[in-house]
Amino acid sequence: MNHWIQQHPLTFAGLLLWAIGIILLMPARNGASKRPSPVALGLTGAGLAAFLAGFGRTDAALVPELLFWIFSVGALAGGVLMITARNPVYGALWFAVTTLCTCGLFLTQSAPFLAAATVIVYAGAVIVTFLFVIMLARQSGSAGYDQKSQNAVVACISAFLLIGAITKTLQTTSVDFPRPVIASAEDQKLSGSAENAAAEEDSEPKQESAGTSAAGLAMSSTSVRLADPEDLAVAAATPAPVPNQLSKADANTPVGSLRGLGRSLFSDYLFAVELAGTLLLVASIGAIAIAPRREEGAL
Amino acid sequence: MNSSTPMTPEELRTLMVAAGLFILGAIGFITRRNLILLVLSAELMLHGVSLSLVTFGRIHQTAEGQAFTIFVLTVAACEAGLALSLVLSLYRQVHSLDIRLWTELREPDVQQPPSDDSGDSSSPESAYVGIPRLTPAGIAPRAVPGEASTTRA
Repeated sequence: MNHWIQQHPLTFAGLLLWAIGIILLMPARNGASKRPSPVALGLTGAGLAAFLAGFGRTDAALVPELLFWIFSVGALAGGVLMITARNPVYGALWFAVTTLCTCGLFLTQSAPFLAAATVIVYAGAVIVTFLFVIMLARQSGSAGYDQKSQNAVVACISAFLLIGAITKTLQTTSVDFPRPVIASAEDQKLSGSAENAAAEEDSEPKQESAGTSAAGLAMSSTSVRLADPEDLAVAAATPAPVPNQLSKADANTPVGSLRGLGRSLFSDYLFAVELAGTLLLVASIGAIAIAPRREEGAL
Repeated sequence: MNSSTPMTPEELRTLMVAAGLFILGAIGFITRRNLILLVLSAELMLHGVSLSLVTFGRIHQTAEGQAFTIFVLTVAACEAGLALSLVLSLYRQVHSLDIRLWTELREPDVQQPPSDDSGDSSSPESAYVGIPRLTPAGIAPRAVPGEASTTRA
């Protein structure tokens, strides 16, 4: 723990400043906090910037770096302003900002379809419905319960302990995570090492099982091989069936391609898709049944 | 192509942003008292989870992360619809969005949260502090004795 703080002082200081800023930004007891104080806003912004800058420099190009900074700062700052908003309408609008910035982060993480779907579902439907309900249930003036938060200090302390634990875990343990490497066709042709031969040997039964499980969907000739030789040895010793082989990316369907996503959804997760459709039906029926009817009186 | 590619710094910091979104939603869910803001905070937590799932899928080079995110999106849409209809039916009963009015399911040894002291009722006066007031100016209109009595009446 101490070692981690000494290694990443910027991240730790950023988290601390961020927590203090949020505590100060929360709507307080007295009526003097009609608008957020600039000191608390500055503290929160500085903490956020230090938290993000604490991850060090990456060797990404300028444009992806810039996009990441814009989207992540927008998402986190929008989230802070949303949960500290005195007016629920402004809260909903800041949530819209956060949603759009999250969709930008989806784009940088090679999920363009999800970015579009999230914009359509959230910005197009969810936020409009929220604003509609806020306007419907709006009193004249500002309500007292919007001007006062409960348990702000305890909530911030526990939440920032949680994110500190997540940060430490991610930074210390999973950097050496061995990830599967997509072998392209030329790569397989060119390399004739023993490791690659083992990879070929390992990937043969996978392809067969995939071909038998999904009759129409033929796998392409490339295969996914595990990177580590030890992992390969373990995998060869215990021939476990690889689950959801059709969800794996290969050279023809890289991660984030609509083809790969559809193949995963409608082959490996077909039952779940049906369940999700049933859930939507049940939820819409339930919402209609719960909502107050016209003959029960106006709001 | 080397044998082992670790998690890149870009993916690591995206995971951290996702964790930040999640805890912001958690703080909002615990601290705020407006029912609508509670539901919005839950949606913020779902954003964080979706971003982590997408990033994990990219790390593992599989489409499963994005497939799960589509299910998260579906559940979030269902949850928003149900939560808003619940909020409406609760609002119709007490004409307030305060979460402290709904404490009947608490444990018997937990004391009742203090009801609001000063700012419980809506305070429409304080909301318009910044708006300037017009001071009476100009010449006062001539009062016609007969007309004034008729207009007043």
